[in-house]
Amino acid sequence: MSIKAFELVPAIERVKLMSDKAKTQIECIDVCGKNVYIGTNDCFVVHYSIEEVTSPSGRVSYKTEKQGHKYLTVKKPVIQIKSASALNRIMVLCDNTLTLLNMFDLEPVVTGAKVKSVSHFCINENPIRTNPFSVEICVALKKKTIQLYTVTEDRLMHLRDLSVPDPAVAVGIDGIHVCAALSTQYCMVNSETGQLTDLFPFDSEHQNAIVKRISKEEFLLSGPSALGMFVTSAGISQRPPMQWSDNLLSVGYVHPYILAMNDEFITVHSILDQQQKQAIPFQGGVALDDFDGRLFVASGREVYSLVPVPFEKQIQALLADKRVTEALELAKNANRTGMSRDKFLKMYRRIQQQAAFIQLAQKEFDEARELLRESEIDIRELISLYPHLLPSNCNFTRSVPALHEIADVNQLAKGDNSVIMDYKYFLRTYLEEIRGTKDAYGFKQEIDIALLKLYAETNSPELLTLVAVDTGCDLHDCVDWLEKYGRFHVLGILYKYHGEYDKALSVWTRLVDDGVKDEAFPGLPFIVEVLANLSDHDLVWKYIDWVLEKDEELGVKVLTERPANEPPSERLRPDAVIDYLHRFPKAVITYLEYLVFQRKLEKETYHTHLAVLYMDNVLQLMKKENVKKEELDMARSKLRHMLQLSNLYRVQLILGKAKETDMHAECAILYGKLEEHDKALRILVHKLKDYGAAENYCLVNSQGKEPSYRKRRDTLVTPAVALLNSSVAEFDTIKVLQLLPDNWSVGLLSQFLTRAVRSSMHSSRMTRIERMMSRVENLRSKETCIELQRDPVVMNEERLCAVCKRAFNDPTFVRYPNGVVTHVHCAKNKFICPVTGRLFSSGHS
Amino acid sequence: MSSKKKADLKVIILGDYNVGKTSLICRYIEGKFKQQEPTIGAAFFLKQWGPYNVAVWDTAGDEKYVGLSRFYCRSAGAAILAYDITEPKTFESLWARFTPMLVDANEDCIRIVVATKSDLLQPGSREITIEEGKKLAREMNEHIDLSKAPFEPFFETSSRTGEGVKEVFDYIFQYCLPLSAEQKQRHQHEVVDLTDDSGVKRAQKSKCGC
Repeated sequence: MSIKAFELVPAIERVKLMSDKAKTQIECIDVCGKNVYIGTNDCFVVHYSIEEVTSPSGRVSYKTEKQGHKYLTVKKPVIQIKSASALNRIMVLCDNTLTLLNMFDLEPVVTGAKVKSVSHFCINENPIRTNPFSVEICVALKKKTIQLYTVTEDRLMHLRDLSVPDPAVAVGIDGIHVCAALSTQYCMVNSETGQLTDLFPFDSEHQNAIVKRISKEEFLLSGPSALGMFVTSAGISQRPPMQWSDNLLSVGYVHPYILAMNDEFITVHSILDQQQKQAIPFQGGVALDDFDGRLFVASGREVYSLVPVPFEKQIQALLADKRVTEALELAKNANRTGMSRDKFLKMYRRIQQQAAFIQLAQKEFDEARELLRESEIDIRELISLYPHLLPSNCNFTRSVPALHEIADVNQLAKGDNSVIMDYKYFLRTYLEEIRGTKDAYGFKQEIDIALLKLYAETNSPELLTLVAVDTGCDLHDCVDWLEKYGRFHVLGILYKYHGEYDKALSVWTRLVDDGVKDEAFPGLPFIVEVLANLSDHDLVWKYIDWVLEKDEELGVKVLTERPANEPPSERLRPDAVIDYLHRFPKAVITYLEYLVFQRKLEKETYHTHLAVLYMDNVLQLMKKENVKKEELDMARSKLRHMLQLSNLYRVQLILGKAKETDMHAECAILYGKLEEHDKALRILVHKLKDYGAAENYCLVNSQGKEPSYRKRRDTLVTPAVALLNSSVAEFDTIKVLQLLPDNWSVGLLSQFLTRAVRSSMHSSRMTRIERMMSRVENLRSKETCIELQRDPVVMNEERLCAVCKRAFNDPTFVRYPNGVVTHVHCAKNKFICPVTGRLFSSGHS
Repeated sequence: MSSKKKADLKVIILGDYNVGKTSLICRYIEGKFKQQEPTIGAAFFLKQWGPYNVAVWDTAGDEKYVGLSRFYCRSAGAAILAYDITEPKTFESLWARFTPMLVDANEDCIRIVVATKSDLLQPGSREITIEEGKKLAREMNEHIDLSKAPFEPFFETSSRTGEGVKEVFDYIFQYCLPLSAEQKQRHQHEVVDLTDDSGVKRAQKSKCGC
């Protein structure tokens, strides 16, 4: 509850005021600029000058000097004094009469303007008329009337009367709204329409009526049960009431505090949360008010000032007590004290930051995060709480004066590991949140390194993405850290990111060789991929050996999966590579395939080399025992494909090898390449008996080669025709006819056609004979059937089963073709008569 | 200064001393039930309803604050009249003591009759029937057209269990500041409603049981 918001500083001390009159008591005061006016109970108005002195240490004191006094000659107490500096006048209420005095010599105005039977008056601080040389006042009379006046230097001009049901004891005015305390209730009067709104009842006999205008269109009233009630000029309340103490005498307001005085205490409430913030013991107070933002309070014989404790100090005190919410609330309202916006923002941010660390220390992570975010804190302040998380070359020192007293999170957690984890998780999520936002601007390195360290500790999968793309992590101390936590794969990636490929690769090779465990590491294929994309070819050479020894087929991808737009280099010249790959037969095949099929290099040696290698492969397989047929077929089809597709290899060389073994299919292709179609076809037709292949051969070799290849085609046609006309082969005539070009003459094929027609004729006749024979057979069967079914079978009670000699009970029975009738279950075999043993054939008899 | 913002709707809660007015509001605003000190004068809460601000005024039930409560009723758009379901006296005083206070409220102020402490109701000990409550609610609202409301403004609630509490305020807000379904949706997305969620879970559990 306790803030020290105000300090009591003596302003006018007893000696100076009292002079010789011992019984004199202060009744009211007014302060206007450097003038203090005091009204006494024995009808004096005393004028002092006052000057505020601020010592170098920031302490405020007052220098005052008596200027003069005036005796008003009625022996009644002076109830109210209000100064109107624009008019050089003070308004004095004494003996129910309101008069005007000169501000400096305290002489009454010559016109003698006055209002009689006044119980209370007040100045309209929000007047409707804006003449600067007049003041509008509201006067409560002893009768049931409230009056409004315009006051000029020497006149009190009556504006209007407002009638109220009871005499008013206190009034307040704002604009056109008059708030009045009547003897039994408060009410709000619209001075233009005279409309009266009841507010709430109160008992003027047991408590003082207080009407205090606190801001535009808002009044503070002392309600029943010692409640401070806020009322707007519309007659409603927009703030909850405040609980005051009893016997309240007067009220002052300096944003955001309401000060209320009774005869023992001055209590300070915040208007923000309506809670009491401070209580200042003050015996025998008689008057308290705010004068242009300054608070003065008078006891019977002395005047004090209530000096506000600077906001910063109040806030710091709150923060020291860890009352974060209150501190922030107060800070938010500090910009009303005339601070420049920049200065305010700076101060406010700092307070937010302090608050954030307090929240953090109390493990209020959400609040802390919010505050850190809003206050745009230097992220290093936060990271520095975590030992070793800042980059070691970072020369950051925490801001002075310190934002907090936290040494590090270990101290906060008191060594409790799970708490430390919570803190680390907080940091991690916070950094993730601000990473890439403007808050992170300029601190990318610090943030990324801290994240890397956090991730490495927990082996979090985000580690990889952090390092791989646009990372701020340098090598300096990340390397040690990653090694310490065994995140070697990430270390490799980090090296790679920084262009240290050699180091990266040595890390990875170590991962493979030494069996060092790192689950994140995807294994050899990853290294191959890196090498394949590596533009430093010397480095590629350095590692290719290692890779190939690990896995030939995988390793060769380093060479075959190069980026498409890579410029050719001496180190990766195909010839050199092939020479090098000599040791790795599988690799060399793959590489040559890459050169021939993918790069489509038209160089004879590659093609021949590849063909030879294929050939060797096939030969080896053939030599070996129990090789699976599929494997051999695969190898041969690869070879054939190659032979067929490429025109660049040395045919003779391959042909020689092919002829040695019985690789007819290959030979055929090779002959084809040599344009020796006769031979080719002969092999196909006679050796392989694969006519489909022969046809295909013809088509393939003649395809799309007209007319320039006409001649060549003709040479192909001849064997084809010969083939067709030869009596050895059997063709599907229809298919052949479809395949034959339209322009071939019938004469050319007459032999083939004659034969085809003849065989077709023959088959037609054969079929017809078969048909007629079938019909005869069918007819005979029918006859037998009719024969068998012609006689009726008489079933009656005397008829007994031929096998068991019992009567038939069921409607079903079996009849054999020879007339024997039995039970169904007695007929064991339907082809053998159970009685005679005669055999019935299933077909026609 | 949140309280200074002009609220779009003023809701006031009235009722006898110790019927549980503050608990009801506290249950709605904070979502929990706790022991409350007697309210002094009045208290104030601000609630977001879609784009609107709703000021919820809690009054003191104690007799000595009668004058103030009437003052705080001024320009209220809705009034919750709360009674303790276990104390028939508090039901009777709604009509006798509290309806007169609402003369200063808005002309079209809707009055919602709310029974509190329904968790304390023993079976068979009920003294005020639902029909009586509804009847009072109808009588109180004769001055306005209730046809746009889905049913009579009568609820039985328990701040301890939370039963019916949200419904009361949703009813009021939806009546006074109608939101389209889309607005509500957007509004609900901003708020993580834990209580709602647990309700769903409970429902699912009971389904599993049978």
